[in-house]
Amino acid sequence: MRARAPITGFMARHPRLSQLATIALFLLVWEITARFFVDKMFLSPPSRVYSEIDRVLNTKGLMQALTLTLYELSAAFVIAVAIGMAIGLSVGLNAFARRCFMPIILLLYGIPQIVILPLFILGLGIGPPSKIAFGVTHGIFPIILAIVAGVQNLKPVLLTSARSMGANRWHVLRYVVLPHMMPSFFSGLRLGMTGVLLGVLLAELYVSTAGIGYFTGLFTQNFDPTRLLGLISILAAMAIALNEFMRTVERRFSRWRGND
Amino acid sequence: MQKQDISVQIQNVSHSFGVEGHAKHVRALLDTTMDIHRGELLALIGPSGCGKSTLLNVIGGILSPTTGGASVNGKPVNGPMPHDIAYVFQENALFPWNTIIENIRLGMLFQGVPKADHEGRARAALKAVGLSEFADHYPGQLSGGMRQRAALARALSLDTPVVLMDEPFGALDEQTRMVLGEDLSELLSRTGKTIIFVTHSLGEAVFLADRIAVFTARPGRIKEVIPVDEPHPRKASFMTSDKFNGLRNRLFELLHDEIRKTVNLRSGSTGGF
Ligand SMILES: Nc1ncnc2c1ncn2[C@@H]1O[C@H](COP(=O)(O)OP(=O)(O)OP(=O)(O)O)[C@@H](O)[C@H]1O
Ligand SMILES: [Mg+2]
Repeated sequence: MRARAPITGFMARHPRLSQLATIALFLLVWEITARFFVDKMFLSPPSRVYSEIDRVLNTKGLMQALTLTLYELSAAFVIAVAIGMAIGLSVGLNAFARRCFMPIILLLYGIPQIVILPLFILGLGIGPPSKIAFGVTHGIFPIILAIVAGVQNLKPVLLTSARSMGANRWHVLRYVVLPHMMPSFFSGLRLGMTGVLLGVLLAELYVSTAGIGYFTGLFTQNFDPTRLLGLISILAAMAIALNEFMRTVERRFSRWRGND
Repeated sequence: MQKQDISVQIQNVSHSFGVEGHAKHVRALLDTTMDIHRGELLALIGPSGCGKSTLLNVIGGILSPTTGGASVNGKPVNGPMPHDIAYVFQENALFPWNTIIENIRLGMLFQGVPKADHEGRARAALKAVGLSEFADHYPGQLSGGMRQRAALARALSLDTPVVLMDEPFGALDEQTRMVLGEDLSELLSRTGKTIIFVTHSLGEAVFLADRIAVFTARPGRIKEVIPVDEPHPRKASFMTSDKFNGLRNRLFELLHDEIRKTVNLRSGSTGGF
């Protein structure tokens, strides 16, 4: 074995530590930059953002706005998963439907949806429905694509053998198709979650009369970076928590992959 | 064994893949007719690509032939018959996301076996192929030969009168194959199942089969059917007998010509380049 510097050797054996160190370094750079180099009208150091987080939470109406956003996110996610799964399965399992509709789906996915956001507002108003809808249209495509791809590379002999043992349609779906696509289904769910988050927050920021969008606008106009960054940190923490939750579920369901 | 007691009947089965006249048109099987008796072990042997799997797929109801047809236990085959036929595929068809015992239970669930019987039958089948200790392993954790034995256990657990096996021991070495063949010969003679199996091993064909159907090169036809008059269960000593070697040599002669044809055909078609 080659000799390594003790510190790097130690770090190499503890990837978690390197991770934490990276984050700590980032926070440190941010802290120093904010304290000594940037006007505090534009940037607050993380220590201050953290110590004044309760000021964000105590802002009148903000908790309701966060709750509303969370509700919009969940609604959009559930709808995106339900419709995405239905479309993904029916398109993915049928060669004809795949040839017909996949190009259309890919085409739609390619459109930067922000350009049609005004249409959503026009059609559905400035309340939650337009935000949920915009979240759905962002989240649904990665889910459809992941399911179609997941269903694709199923070995035909597995289907044939299930049928030869007497499996009916439900058996095939439940015991062959679903377990096969579990891993890609979960990565689809995670990407879908990211999409939903993007869609809902974009709509929220665009319609800044209420909700999170209103408060980001308010904090920006008041040159209050502490509360702005605090709010952003809360949103980021929410996104990270959701993502980690999905990853945990995913790991549980794809145990067998590890030894294939 | 009575001649009338026919389990599987293959009548004038021909099959072509693709559209006639097209470049990809392949005549895989030509006018094959054969009766397989109840409790008989029939081996199919022939050059690669001659249509052996195609024939098994026709019997198994997975492929509907261009002309002719098969019937099993007096019923014409128009689709899978899970209560009559169990099929061990040439490819590994175990579900990778289930453990071995889950795979076996799942087969019984598909077939409609009452839940209460699953565990006992699954354990018995695993024991029969010597995989009891690997019940909770995933297919990916087993060797190729073990996977094939697991697939065989799944087929046996379904308790069908007919079992189709497409190169069930293809991934095993000749010696293991023979030892496993001994056990199989013993097991199968006890259960009285009708077995049709494809093999590329001359020794395995002679050792296990009651009759051996030798196929011609593509499009496959049955060139000759060789009976092996030797009661089951067969002992290892049969493998060293003159009778065994005589049959084996006979098979080799028959196959040698056909394989030569396949190879010449292939080199002929690429000769233009
Ligand atoms: N799905 C398919 N589509 C088109 N052609 C096929 C298909 N399956 C088989 N064939 C053709 O039919 C012929 C017979 O195939 P089959 O699988 O029955 O051969 P086999 O005797 O089982 O060969 P092997 O011993 O190599 O398994 C092959 O030459 C192949 O070209
Ligand atoms: Mg084959």
